[in-house]
Amino acid sequence: MKWLYTICACVIVIAVCSMFISAANKTPIPTPLNFTVPAGWPQPVYDFKQNPLTKEGFELGRKLFYDGRLSRDGNFSCASCHQQFAAFATYDHNLSHGINNSFTRRNSPGLFNLAWQKEFMWDGGINHLDLQPLAPMTDTLEMGETIDNILTKLRADTAYKRMFAGAFGSADITTQRVTKALSQFMLMLVSANSKFDRVMRGEDSFDLPEKLGYAIFQKKCQACHTPPLFTDYSYRNTGITTDMYLNDVGRMKITRNPADSLKFKVPSLRNVQLTFPYGHDGRFYYLQDVLDHYRKAVVNSPSVDPLVRNNMPLSNFETGQLKAFMYTLTDSVFISDVRFAPPGYENRAPKAPAEHEHQYKY
Amino acid sequence: MNMKYLSATLFAVNVLLLPGTAFSQLKQNTSSGEQLNLTFNIKAGDATVVPGNTYTNPFGETYTVQKFRFYIAQILLEDSTNTSEQFFPDDYFLVDAGDTGSRTITVPISIKHLTAVSFLVGVDSVANVSGTQTGALDPANGMFWTWNTGYIMLKLDGTSPAAKVPGNAFSLHVGGYKTGENATRKIGYLIRHSQKQAVHNIVFNVDINKLFNGAYPIKIAEHPLCHQPGALAMQLADNYATMFSLGQVSK
Ligand code: HEC
Ligand code: HEC
Repeated sequence: MKWLYTICACVIVIAVCSMFISAANKTPIPTPLNFTVPAGWPQPVYDFKQNPLTKEGFELGRKLFYDGRLSRDGNFSCASCHQQFAAFATYDHNLSHGINNSFTRRNSPGLFNLAWQKEFMWDGGINHLDLQPLAPMTDTLEMGETIDNILTKLRADTAYKRMFAGAFGSADITTQRVTKALSQFMLMLVSANSKFDRVMRGEDSFDLPEKLGYAIFQKKCQACHTPPLFTDYSYRNTGITTDMYLNDVGRMKITRNPADSLKFKVPSLRNVQLTFPYGHDGRFYYLQDVLDHYRKAVVNSPSVDPLVRNNMPLSNFETGQLKAFMYTLTDSVFISDVRFAPPGYENRAPKAPAEHEHQYKY
Repeated sequence: MNMKYLSATLFAVNVLLLPGTAFSQLKQNTSSGEQLNLTFNIKAGDATVVPGNTYTNPFGETYTVQKFRFYIAQILLEDSTNTSEQFFPDDYFLVDAGDTGSRTITVPISIKHLTAVSFLVGVDSVANVSGTQTGALDPANGMFWTWNTGYIMLKLDGTSPAAKVPGNAFSLHVGGYKTGENATRKIGYLIRHSQKQAVHNIVFNVDINKLFNGAYPIKIAEHPLCHQPGALAMQLADNYATMFSLGQVSK
């Protein structure tokens, strides 16, 4: 009996091996890409098992992210609104430009640390990172294209066929693969190298205003803008009035619950120096304007958060110190990381924008 | 028994069989062996619906159908005689009034005496929260809300003089997967047939007029648009739960 098992096992092992070898001959196995969780950070919420990161998948996602063909007229890539030098927000725009001279209805957020985020958009309407690209692609105020047209354009391109085969094992170009590749690129956008991070790692130290600012921040801000991600991903009403043209009810649009009226996702404050203008509709140009809102202009309504209700007491000194602290959240390594630049731009990566009036004074 | 060898062998067999499972997925009209056809005949009252044609709902509102589509999932075939069942939890079908081929769903059948058939109208919540899906669930099929994640379980687009909206275009997109807003509805029928004959064809009649007047009266004049989950979608879903009726069962 024993020899029978031995032979059986041998035959099967050989069969399995030859299967792997023949598979390997057909399509090269993609190279796994490491995702590093910064020390002391929580575990990401993205399910990497459903979309294992590979070098090929990442590079494909990067090409897609910078490709205008994802829009109807060829002009609006993801990167047209999500610019690396602005930590992947739209630099210096309250609302972003979309197709046919349109404007988006909200301010484009920076894109980073998305692996820790469960819901997307200012109202949290999208429940999976893979699904996020479908919204701008098909929105008539953004890229104005249909998914089918995008797939047709990509399928006509032999370079893409090769890259999809490299990343996913066959040249099939599907909605799922396009969105998974885009996720692979976006998941790698980890920003954890600001001065704040260096200070936390004991490699640097705050100057006095930064230190004082951090102390105020811990007292007054971090309940919502919680480190290390500088958001708790909750939805809050900070007493911002409704713009009569945009008429944006925020989270209530998704839940239809009046208690969620005018609540918006707490934005991360990482790279906040670069992501101006601020607020869900970009109504605040300077950081000072945001702080002035918190201390002077909170409009009390039933859903306004108790933490900001009746304005927050903040002196002029304190606002200066808070700004000094928030500038320590700028990650210059991230915004000049050549891996995230347009494909082929490795040797002429975008430079950080010139310091402008956001330079702090205190 | 030498357990070590046995488990090694079993492991190897598993590895060998694993790639095979990728091909064993259901496809319309391709499996060999016994098959069961589930055919959906789309009607407005007694009239067969052809996109482009005009019908009258129970409130006397005339309407022209442009698009009528819905998802069918979780098909369950039961054999109470032998207490066995066949369940297809991962197979989704998009039935489209404008596509004859889509109106017949074919599944392999191995149970001997089919005594009950049931299915879900819509897309279960798991598929609504698991990222981009493929096949019938590909968001490119246009049965998906991109800005507020979720599948449109059933869609009726058309025009009606009763719809006081631009172009008289009414548009009922029904969806929702969250608790309290779940627009999937389960439909089930007992099948009676002679013990000697295996069933191979079941016809369901689907009456669009019930969408307007099933459990709730919903006039086009009052509700020309539904584009989000919520109270109206739930009422429309209760209505489409009454839309199906069992037609001919044959071998
Ligand atoms: C026309 C400008 C524009 C284009 C093009 C664009 N986006 Fe955006 N993006 C935005 C705006 C505005 C928001 C915020 C939308 C909202 O909250 O309603 C956003 C939000 C996002 C978010 C959610 C971030 C968060 O923190 O919730 C991600 C991820 C994203 N975009 C990725 C992409 C990808 C990938 C593409 C290309 C397929 C793309 N965007 C194309 C403007 C754009
Ligand atoms: C109750 C929770 C909460 C507290 C406390 C809070 N914030 Fe905010 N913060 C938010 C929300 C929500 C927004 C987005 C508001 C909007 O656009 O509607 C926001 C926006 C911001 C923005 C704009 C960021 C961007 O990218 O648009 C800055 C800067 C900011 N907060 C700084 C602070 C500072 C500094 C403090 C402490 C003094 C603070 N916040 C306290 C919830 C909070």
